Amino acid sequence: MYQNQYSQQQRMSQPPAVLSTKDNAYLTDALSWELLAVKKAHSFASQCSDQQVKHQLEQLCQLHQQHYHTLLNHLSNNQQDYENQTYPHFHN
Amino acid sequence: MNSNRSSYGSYQQQRYGGSTSPTMKNPSAHFEKGTEFNDRDRLNDMLATEKWLTDGFNVFVRETSHQELYNDVLHVLTETHHACRDVFNLMFEKGWYSLHPEQPSHIADHYQKFSGNESQFPSHGTGSYQYLSGVGQHPRYY
Repeated sequence: MYQNQYSQQQRMSQPPAVLSTKDNAYLTDALSWELLAVKKAHSFASQCSDQQVKHQLEQLCQLHQQHYHTLLNHLSNNQQDYENQTYPHFHN
Repeated sequence: MNSNRSSYGSYQQQRYGGSTSPTMKNPSAHFEKGTEFNDRDRLNDMLATEKWLTDGFNVFVRETSHQELYNDVLHVLTETHHACRDVFNLMFEKGWYSLHPEQPSHIADHYQKFSGNESQFPSHGTGSYQYLSGVGQHPRYY
């Protein structure tokens, strides 16, 4: 069904900015990995006596929070685009 | 900043020819050596986590659909590699990680062999590969 709709339009050189089912599955996996890394780094940092190690773990905690937001952004962007029907070839 | 730094290159050049393998290692920083989980264990565990994450994101980035997602996941992968590197460097600085230099004669042997293998290249063109895709690039589709 989708194939017919695509063939009537201009040929695409790259996939459109729409999340695939696989993207969604990987994103949710990766978000769980990042959350675990955030919690682990935070927990370890609080238990450390060496200040240099503690600082490094706190930095890692921050980094994984940033990564979490980067990834989460793709889930929220896609929702908006989908509702606004920016990609009409999916909604003929 | 750190008194350990003065002995950074403490391995001895003249031991290369001998049978004992020299080590490139800092004096070990203090850590609790009991049964409890210590600072070194925590850093080691976090390094294992970062390594594991790079494996996961490597598969993820290869499977992404559109360019923007690809760019972001590749960026996360790169930063996770840098995080691994930072932890590794800190462990080395703490003296919790040692390396052993290869004997120069062994390296020279391999250089000889593989520089000879270059003659098997089908061509010696001067051009370089032009990427059609990559971080920060928005080719063709956009």
